[in-house]
Amino acid sequence: MAHEREVAGIRCTEVLALLADYIDGDLPDHRRRQIDEHLAGCSWCEDFGGAYGALVTGLRELGAPAPTPPLDPAPPKVE
Amino acid sequence: MTPDHDDPDLADAVAAATGDRVAFGRLAARHHDAVMRVARLLTPSAQAAEDVTQETFLAALQHIASFRADGSLRAWLLQIARHSALRLARRRVGQPPPEAQLDVDEHEDLASLGVAAGWGQPPPDPERDLDLQRRRDALRDALLTLGENDRLVIQLRDVEGLTYEEVARILEVPLTTVKPRLHRARLRLMASLRQRFDDGT
Repeated sequence: MAHEREVAGIRCTEVLALLADYIDGDLPDHRRRQIDEHLAGCSWCEDFGGAYGALVTGLRELGAPAPTPPLDPAPPKVE
Repeated sequence: MTPDHDDPDLADAVAAATGDRVAFGRLAARHHDAVMRVARLLTPSAQAAEDVTQETFLAALQHIASFRADGSLRAWLLQIARHSALRLARRRVGQPPPEAQLDVDEHEDLASLGVAAGWGQPPPDPERDLDLQRRRDALRDALLTLGENDRLVIQLRDVEGLTYEEVARILEVPLTTVKPRLHRARLRLMASLRQRFDDGT
């Protein structure tokens, strides 16, 4: 099956499993580089990784604060 | 707690704990939308979400002195919101539960989840990505098709930006399970979005 294919010494199934760690920057350097190389050589994983990353970016934007009108001016300080 | 002038939440929480209602109003305004977003995920109607949001801030006002700043104020408020939603659900006897579908098996094969999410398939038509508002609406709608735990982990981590520790505390699950749950929930969300595009909605 295509998802058992190995590129840069790592299989597509392993890349799938590590995507959350990858976008968090939570992998050791050698592992991250290995996935970078896999993505460069595997269009399926590159496309899917891009879609996964775009999903997370889109979700973060849902939580971005909308512009709100200014609150009432600060009340006078009570000493 | 010593006030940290770089953290408005901490400064306002400290002031509110001494009875400063204006300070509480500021922090409530800052987090109202986040509480409302999560309440909306946990309740069957906009009105119920309003009720949960109100109850959350009432409880927060009463207990603000107990905020320990061992996590963010937002996480503390969202934890209160979750408990409030659970209490409301228990009171709502005879009404359908808020979950849109049963939570799926946590041990579901990752490759199957990936395939359903579009792994190994042609990427979606880039034309579909042009309309930002429709994309946001589609994301929100697709989130509502997920089981409650999937919705919550995505909302808390990806939308509200809480840390994994804070998410674990709110969901009452071991810290090490949060990222795997989140990853699977994201894949199910992608599958739901794909289905909507395939259905032409």
